[in-house]
Amino acid sequence: MDTQEHVELHDLYGNRGSEWHEPVSEEEICERLKRAHEEGRKVAIESGGTKRGYGGARGEYDWTLSLKKYKGIVEHNAGDMTITVKPGTTIAELQRFLQEYGQQVSLDPHWPEQATIGGVISANESGPKRLAYGSARDLVIGLRIVYPDGRIIRTGGKVVKNVAGYDMNKLFIGAMGTLGVISEITMKLRPAPKYESLALVSVPEGEEEKLRLLAVEIQDAMIEPVTLEILTPALAEKLTGTRAFTLLVGYEDVECSVKEQEGWMIHHKPENAVLEILHEEEARKFWERFAVTVPNTHTKEKDLCAVLKAGTKNMDVFTMMTTALDLGISHLVDIEAHGGLGHGISEYVVRGQQDNIIAVIEGLRAAAEQKGGYIVIKQLPFHLRKKVDVWGRNPGHFSLMEGIKKAVDPYGVCNLQRYIGGI
Amino acid sequence: MKRKKQNKVDPHIRSLTKIVGESEILYKPEDLISYDCDGFTVHKALPKAVVFPKNTEEVAALVQYCHMNHLPFLARGAGTGLSGGAIPLNEEIIISLVKMKQLLCVDYENRQAVVQPGYVNLKLTNSISDKGYYYAPDPSSQYVCTIGGNVAENAGGAHCLKYGVTTNHILGLEVVLPHGEVIEIGGEGAPDSPGYDLMGLLTGSEGTLGIVTKITVRILKSPQGKKTVLAYFDDVEEGSRAVSDIIAAGIVPAALEMMDKTAIEGVEAGTFPVGHPPDIEAFLLIEVDGIMAGLEEQIEQILEVCESWNVREVKVAKSEEERSRWWANRKTGFGAMGAISPDYLVQDGVIPRSRLPEVLKEIEKISRESGLRIANIFHAGDGNLHPLILFDSRVPGETEKALQAGTACLKACADVGGSITGEHGVGIEKKEEMRFIFTEEEIEAQLDIRDVFNPYDLLNQGKLFPKPSRCMDVKKIVKDTVAVQS
Amino acid sequence: MLKELMKKKDASLPCEENTLSNYFAKDHPDEAKWADCVHCGMCLEACPTYLETGQEQHSPRGRVHLIKSVAEGKLNVNEAFADPVFQCLDCRACTTACPADVDVGGLIEEARGQVRQAMPLRGWKGAAGSFFLKRLFPHPNRMQTVSGLLKLYQQSGLQKVMRRSGAMKVMPDHLAGMEAIMPEMKASVQKTYKNVDLIPAKGAVKARVAMLTGCIMDVMFGDINESTIHVLTYNGNEVTLPKQQTCCGALHVHAGDRDTGRKLAKQNIEAFEDAGKVIVNAAGCGCALKEYPELFKDDPEWRDRAEKFAAKVEDVSKYLCDTGYVKPESRIHKSITYHDACHLAHGQGVRHEPRQMLQDIPGVEYKEMKNADTCCGSAGIYNLTNPEMAGAVLDRKMADVPEDVEMISMGNPGCMLQMAMGVQKYGRRSEIVHTIQLLDWAYQKDEQAAGKKG
Repeated sequence: MDTQEHVELHDLYGNRGSEWHEPVSEEEICERLKRAHEEGRKVAIESGGTKRGYGGARGEYDWTLSLKKYKGIVEHNAGDMTITVKPGTTIAELQRFLQEYGQQVSLDPHWPEQATIGGVISANESGPKRLAYGSARDLVIGLRIVYPDGRIIRTGGKVVKNVAGYDMNKLFIGAMGTLGVISEITMKLRPAPKYESLALVSVPEGEEEKLRLLAVEIQDAMIEPVTLEILTPALAEKLTGTRAFTLLVGYEDVECSVKEQEGWMIHHKPENAVLEILHEEEARKFWERFAVTVPNTHTKEKDLCAVLKAGTKNMDVFTMMTTALDLGISHLVDIEAHGGLGHGISEYVVRGQQDNIIAVIEGLRAAAEQKGGYIVIKQLPFHLRKKVDVWGRNPGHFSLMEGIKKAVDPYGVCNLQRYIGGI
Repeated sequence: MKRKKQNKVDPHIRSLTKIVGESEILYKPEDLISYDCDGFTVHKALPKAVVFPKNTEEVAALVQYCHMNHLPFLARGAGTGLSGGAIPLNEEIIISLVKMKQLLCVDYENRQAVVQPGYVNLKLTNSISDKGYYYAPDPSSQYVCTIGGNVAENAGGAHCLKYGVTTNHILGLEVVLPHGEVIEIGGEGAPDSPGYDLMGLLTGSEGTLGIVTKITVRILKSPQGKKTVLAYFDDVEEGSRAVSDIIAAGIVPAALEMMDKTAIEGVEAGTFPVGHPPDIEAFLLIEVDGIMAGLEEQIEQILEVCESWNVREVKVAKSEEERSRWWANRKTGFGAMGAISPDYLVQDGVIPRSRLPEVLKEIEKISRESGLRIANIFHAGDGNLHPLILFDSRVPGETEKALQAGTACLKACADVGGSITGEHGVGIEKKEEMRFIFTEEEIEAQLDIRDVFNPYDLLNQGKLFPKPSRCMDVKKIVKDTVAVQS
Repeated sequence: MLKELMKKKDASLPCEENTLSNYFAKDHPDEAKWADCVHCGMCLEACPTYLETGQEQHSPRGRVHLIKSVAEGKLNVNEAFADPVFQCLDCRACTTACPADVDVGGLIEEARGQVRQAMPLRGWKGAAGSFFLKRLFPHPNRMQTVSGLLKLYQQSGLQKVMRRSGAMKVMPDHLAGMEAIMPEMKASVQKTYKNVDLIPAKGAVKARVAMLTGCIMDVMFGDINESTIHVLTYNGNEVTLPKQQTCCGALHVHAGDRDTGRKLAKQNIEAFEDAGKVIVNAAGCGCALKEYPELFKDDPEWRDRAEKFAAKVEDVSKYLCDTGYVKPESRIHKSITYHDACHLAHGQGVRHEPRQMLQDIPGVEYKEMKNADTCCGSAGIYNLTNPEMAGAVLDRKMADVPEDVEMISMGNPGCMLQMAMGVQKYGRRSEIVHTIQLLDWAYQKDEQAAGKKG
């Protein structure tokens, strides 16, 4: 496993242990963690390895515990619309399995062929369709966690509605692996859409306000889009060939309903805007391309590159994007961005000189915080993560988070210092 | 004479009165009787006092006082909870949040509203419906229950099959922690704020981790169209098979409810009868919503499925008026049991949908063996069963029998891989049954989390977890010896 | 004083020797009524006093819980029990909200009877109460003594307000072209028709009905009675006004004076023995008449007569809708909203009919009021005995009245007074009218038009 790639990535992104463990069963995971707990080892946890540049104030761990080979479907009950899977299963493998049953896990994160369900849930990754289907916290109904001392703790259950005890699932979703290893995930499923289409609306430079107004109008109207994702001109050019602000309005429903909503779009297309509608396979192909536009740690990049995630109120996404573009111009960096006007998450790929990138991050963070939002850095080389805070300032109730980490992982076995405030 | 009188008042009461004012505290035993239980009436106990704070600062001051003086306390909303979460087992100070009932703001563009905890669930929908919006979680008690209570219990409702439960609709919380510190989680409603998901943890923590004083919720655009179907079956099993087939056909109904014969007898004797045939074994109430153009197709599919399971009669609501009559009939189902039985105990088990027929048979067996009638009202679409055990507390021994039957129902659910509560919470009622689904270690793991927030266990003591799950808790349990009321 | 009372109570027999109950045997609250309450809380938001206080003991289920607690021996019939029981507006909104049809109103009345047995009223409230209830309302001749009445209500500060309500000013001045046919101040119909046994129908006779003229109604709102008679006769009904009739007794029963309630009930049952239908235009009275059987639970003979009587009672709007009425042709150009009197909507289930009548009048621009069936705070003499709560409830009500309506229509005299006070308090311009008056005015316009043509 000590390939050239491994060494390079090790240097660039950190979050790797000097010893490599690849358990293939839950018992093995328990055994390793128990041993680490006893021996005082620090363990870095990963599976697909796509998020190695995401957080983390430590260059070195004693071990890497890779769940890449701990994969597969544990249980699927088509009638109950639930599935239980092992964490190393990639999103694409999961969706392909479910396709046969006309079902899907309603998560559309980047890099489905590489990203694993364990990683997606630990990092709370989501995609444009979050608007309609929610994020990991809305889909996960049960987890098996190997606690840092090797105990197995089940949270939630296998039923879609459950309020017995604390909703412990939530603690581990987005916890960046700092509270243990997820060894099994049970999720609710949805039927695969019977028909889908995607409307791309683009406007000439300087008229992007029209897209904002269109998004407001869409949300006020009696139509139910599954995405309201806006692309900056640079990102749009990569995906559509046209360098213009573009709004992606997706529809998934029975065919007649999708068609009716397309009709609404045609009728409400803003003046000077270009509207293109992709159907079925074309739409799916577009989303496949969209999913691989934002680099991950496996992507080879010529320039220094940072990936940022912003969370704001829904419509502030639009302002965040224009602010980002302005910052890009003033600091001489290239910025590609997309964000959901209906769900409040936006993402920025910033390429350029180190200091400029840091200046842009700080500028954008100030803008987000001013609106009651935040910026986190989803990918940045390790040496730069020391210069700029990945997670932003600690919230007022940080002591509770510290307390939780201490209660669950008192010896700091799992992904120590990976998360906010060094927990 | 005067001094003597003053001395009689507990000094704690005097201090609490200073915080909230003379008119906002109850402490005379006669006044406290009304607070000896919530919607769960099997256990009753008097609080030490009930206080009615008007704002977050007062809540924080009250909590600080309780913390400093080691007085147990708990928060209460409308008191409609069905698991006893607001019952003062330890002579608590009840902090009633019903006076904090403002709708603070509605932000249509960002799809969110901010409310105080005492704001009534349905009022939110009523105040935004003229603009075409609504608040999705709709527990049957939505006419009266408060959103603060909904957060504490992670309330569900008939329409959570498609739209999710309370936790899926909360964007931000202001919380008074058990030592009196006020924190904000989720900021102004930005999603995924960095750090552990404390909002998710607090939602459904049954008031044991903190007291919520402000809530930012997601509001949704009302669907363009709704179609509601009522299907009558001569066989409960056929009805429940139809439920599975509707879901398997790739339809996501907004709601899929079922009632059996005894439950139908109850609602027909209640205030909102709709004239269900008396000899029917079960009915399904199915609602689909969304883009009008697509609904007809789904309704046809639903009718087909029902036909294939020998439905006796099936009808689509012809007007909004008819639809709301059907829903009023369903939503008042629990209370309507009063019309056919002096007391009832409602259970709240959840099972994988596909196991419905076998669990229903098991419940029937429990009913036979206990000699108590059991009515079934359930959210069939998500496998959430509400067996209503009918009994008469005036008959000696019948309350105990009902409690046993309730436990047996939950065991039946747990045995098929289900849960002991889908939306009512554990409270006092299902503490012991927690062991049906969690190991000692798992319960311990949850207590570890509680201790981070509530280390002295002054807030809503003796709820949620079985006793004694660890030595430390044993001494508290001694106090917790509330006799079962007969 | 309390102890004294309790001693007194203990001296008498509890309802059953071997129970824990702290009730008197006579008229004790009916266990079957509270057994249906499962404490679900669906009534909370319907209750005006709970909305105001936020306290459980001032909610329907809280009151039922207290009533039950006395029966279980956990609580005595004392001040702490009396306060919530008497704060109740008796608006019956809880009865509508209750999924199990618990008769909270009935229980409250029974509980009040118990309180009055245990602790007779003293002081101003007692004096005022007994003046209204015992010395005034049951005596038509005294009620006719307008000077006495005016004095009384000058004292209560209602006079100014009354000037704005239907009784004195509203109709003649404010309906264009109506002055000619509207007298300044209508006399009591009992006076007007003193020597008339049967007021004939206009045109073909459809039916004969008897009318309850009421005590307050006939003196303060004689014109509404006149309107009612006119509308009834206009629609082919012969109307009788039985002379022996008296006050319905609602206020007495509400106040816990069940003995006087029974006395009045008997007199009315006898007075209307020969009538086929008893038409009522005051919601509170109608509801009380329909509930006479409740008063005779322990008296099979009278219960039977009360049941027969109750079956004949009908609100005028319901009667007209059931038997059909002439749709007026003349226009009344007014924007009008409707307030559901508690004892019409919750007490008798009459909601649709008055609205229908209003909307059948050409020119009426009907506006639905938010929370139209929430109590206005009048509740009989509640606004005199519990002015603070009544005021708070009224404030809530007024916030729901559409700003721009010209008229607020309703079917109960008590509500009319209270709403008139609300209109005054908030400087609104809306006039307070009885629903039946509007129909009457439209008919009168029709007649006038026909007269001109003829």
